[in-house]
Amino acid sequence: MKSRIIASNLADLYRQAADKYESLPAFATRVKTLEWKPVTFSEIYTQGLDLAAGLIEIGVDAREHVGLFSDNRYEWMLAEYGIQLSGAVNTPRGADVTDSEMVYIINHAKIRVAFVENSALQEKILRLRPELPELREIILMDPDIEAVKGVRALNEVRAIGTWQRKQGERKVEERMNAIRPDDLFTLIYTSGTTGRPKGVMLTHSNMMSQMGVIPIDLSCTDRVLSILPIWHIFERVFEVYTISCGTCTYYTSIRTLGEDLKNVEPTFMGSAPRLWESLHQRILEGVRAAHPVRRALFHIAYFLGHYYKESGFYLTNNDLQMNPRSIWVRSLFYTGHAVRLILLLPWYGFFNAAVLESVRQNAGGSIKATVSGGGALPLEIDQFFNYIGIPVLEGYGLTETSPVIAVRTDQQLVAGTVGPLVPDTDVRIVELETEKVLYPNNDYPHGGRGLRGEIWVRGPQVMKGYYREPEITKSVMREGGWFCTGDLGMITFNDCLKILGRSKSTIVLSNGENLEPEPIEMQLRQSRYIDQCMVVGQDQKFLGALIVPKLDVFRNDSVSAESLEELSRHPEAYRIIRHEIKNILSRSNGLRRFEHIKEIKLLPYSFKVGDEMTNLFKLKRHVIEKKYEETIREMFSSKQVSVE
Amino acid sequence: MEIETQLLHNIDQILLAFMIFVIMFGMGASLTVNDFKAVARRPRGVLIGFLSQFGVMPLIAFGLAVVLNLSPAFAIALILIGCLPGGTTSNMFAYFARGSVALSISMTTASTLMALIMMPLLLELYTSGFTQQISDAMQADGTGTEFIIPTANIIMSLILVLVPVGGGMVLRRFSPGWAKTAEDTAGFVAIIVILYLLGTAFARHSDLFLRTPPEIYLAAILVGVLGFLFGYWVSRLFAVQPLFQRAISLETGIQNGPVSFAIILLSFSEPIQGQMLWLAILYSTFIVMTSSFVTLYLRKKGKFDWEVHRNTVVHNRLFGMSYVTEYPEGFLPPRIAHDPSQGSSPSQKRDV
Repeated sequence: MKSRIIASNLADLYRQAADKYESLPAFATRVKTLEWKPVTFSEIYTQGLDLAAGLIEIGVDAREHVGLFSDNRYEWMLAEYGIQLSGAVNTPRGADVTDSEMVYIINHAKIRVAFVENSALQEKILRLRPELPELREIILMDPDIEAVKGVRALNEVRAIGTWQRKQGERKVEERMNAIRPDDLFTLIYTSGTTGRPKGVMLTHSNMMSQMGVIPIDLSCTDRVLSILPIWHIFERVFEVYTISCGTCTYYTSIRTLGEDLKNVEPTFMGSAPRLWESLHQRILEGVRAAHPVRRALFHIAYFLGHYYKESGFYLTNNDLQMNPRSIWVRSLFYTGHAVRLILLLPWYGFFNAAVLESVRQNAGGSIKATVSGGGALPLEIDQFFNYIGIPVLEGYGLTETSPVIAVRTDQQLVAGTVGPLVPDTDVRIVELETEKVLYPNNDYPHGGRGLRGEIWVRGPQVMKGYYREPEITKSVMREGGWFCTGDLGMITFNDCLKILGRSKSTIVLSNGENLEPEPIEMQLRQSRYIDQCMVVGQDQKFLGALIVPKLDVFRNDSVSAESLEELSRHPEAYRIIRHEIKNILSRSNGLRRFEHIKEIKLLPYSFKVGDEMTNLFKLKRHVIEKKYEETIREMFSSKQVSVE
Repeated sequence: MEIETQLLHNIDQILLAFMIFVIMFGMGASLTVNDFKAVARRPRGVLIGFLSQFGVMPLIAFGLAVVLNLSPAFAIALILIGCLPGGTTSNMFAYFARGSVALSISMTTASTLMALIMMPLLLELYTSGFTQQISDAMQADGTGTEFIIPTANIIMSLILVLVPVGGGMVLRRFSPGWAKTAEDTAGFVAIIVILYLLGTAFARHSDLFLRTPPEIYLAAILVGVLGFLFGYWVSRLFAVQPLFQRAISLETGIQNGPVSFAIILLSFSEPIQGQMLWLAILYSTFIVMTSSFVTLYLRKKGKFDWEVHRNTVVHNRLFGMSYVTEYPEGFLPPRIAHDPSQGSSPSQKRDV
């Protein structure tokens, strides 16, 4: 049933959703395993109206930036409703915000009113208050704790609004009617992997343009499990999309994910690649622990799924086409794949029903499709899920493009790429040094398909700019509305976008060879011994890797160590990991000689979100390099000594 | 048509017996005592299923035998197939057809037990005309005096195949892990059995496929297909919920093939054993294909009401049993809006 709400701005969309879906659940939060609390579309809208009236009463202006420091919870959504309905701009950040980030964001965005999630953040913002001259109001979100003096409780602000509206005050409606499509709806500060935070200005029309590009039809009977940080643009697009479809969002956390997948039976999920990696590991662990007969059955089933689906992808022109192929070669392969498909069909049919279905139950069993974004999904994991019958629609985008630029669809599900471009969006592939357009360019064979370069994008989703940073904005925008993503990519021969790495994380070895560390790291992380890792080697003769080993796996393999610290000094652990890396990298073809890891160091601590990683588990390379400066130097010096 | 030599040699028969054992053991491994208790909890669905399985299905088989004018041996085999209890594969198909797996399991359990009484009665009722024909033929060429259905033997064979089912249940009780393995293995063995039987038939009597008259093929295919169709209509007639309709339809058409092999091998003898076995083999082959197609069709047809149903189940699981999901006006078509399984009022909600 296609009955999505079309609106011109978020406030309008929230109002229409309340009218249309009324008492259907909009959000559900977990109290206990089997006790969840639903909130209906009309409830949250009514509460949002009251909160908006309260915000206006305490002095929030139209188009003013309101801070929102919190992780996923119902009150986040309520605050978002309040901010949008009062015509203001949501300026969010997670609860892991550091002191310096908080000060920077509040002062830079000129925030006068800020929401904080819990007592820790309340304490933090009060401590920093002397550095925040323009901050006037602090609103505490958690209803279960006391607001200290000088801080208002969210419910208090709401109560003010409720009273106001009872008196017939209708300022909120005026504010809602005054929202223009190119007004900001949010100002998102991206920590990125380099430099100080930048405020990305996204407009209502940016967001509304995204509603038509999500490749999945949802309705009132669907269930979405939410695990990404709620303030991240990737998750927010899904939030708004689910509201427009009348779909209920269930909030889960990493800790309870396994259980919640079973109980909520989600039909759709958006997630970061890390989730798929851990689900993949969990399924394989399960297989490894199963009875030999079941293990054998799984391997047969996976084998059949692999070749059956591979042929299916080839026949529907959905194979990864990085190189041009003549029509003759293709038709030859086409015939071969058609024969293979028919031969495998009955066997695949049986094993799909008897074995793969129970594997799919690990993901809740009702999943229609999932979108992965916020980082590159390793090809092996991508294929694994597609082969066992959980279609993973990988997408690509940046906060600056709010975010979707390209995403796979059911019709164009090409593993290894991020799918075709979304409607109304143009992409250029540009040579890095000269900014010469490689694609689309008819001077090259195949119009420039298959050529590698930086990705430029133009379309309705591109941001207005960085807030109060005209210089930086200028550095990423080009004439004609093109935005330079800073990512490397190419257009495949079946018109999908393939991402090849981040141009800025490129490692240049001392012999002048350029390489992207991400693909190598992705492969290393497939190992059951390796939790996290970073490849280093800028200006060195060879590559090295910083490794955070998996303590529990080593313990199971009877390498006794109490902590990561102890393990990082364990010679046996070094031996195992060296061996493992050699195995993994020798297995993967296409790796050039200098892309092999020659030296490793085990780290005594794991990378933490907020410190060494962004909220989407991307490595902050410069932070890690700085922290382990000594270790890295040691790694490269020791080898050079031993060589000489 | 006659099958001159034995269709199966002794060694094949032993192998087949072993495979039947494995399959029935796997069936038991998928059952618990609770499944039997559950039958009592949804008596209406099981009763309608019973009517469809033991009332309609034998009638379809008998009707086909008469209409297609089958020779007595094939007619008896077809009626035997019509009277069989439901097979475990129906549970898997019900799952993929978005039917009620719980009902499918209940029906399989109930019909397997009921078969001890119903099969002899039904065979007596429907086959008497055909046994008379055989007796007459035997008297005419002097090979015997009277052919009767070996009722006692049939009951004995049924009891015999129930022994591994009991064994499987014991395994399930003590080691669910191994029971799951046994269940999966059984499904795989079932396919191997059919291929093996087809293979041996082909190897020994390569012209058998050609010599088999078209009406035999037609009977083997139609008995299943009409079973699905009538099962669906009967359950529609009683206005049970869509989930139950799909389960009953599949359960009616899918019979327990291995049980028929066991009965034919243990209770009948040449000259009719070979012919009966051949029809049972053909039925088992075609039912896998037809039920796959029917499942795909039902799966597609039932997509919407299945999603509404699952949503109700999850809402009740997470928000409490008294939670009522209220969809916007016009979202649910009238057919579903007034369906008790979709939870239009709390008292009507049932766990299915």
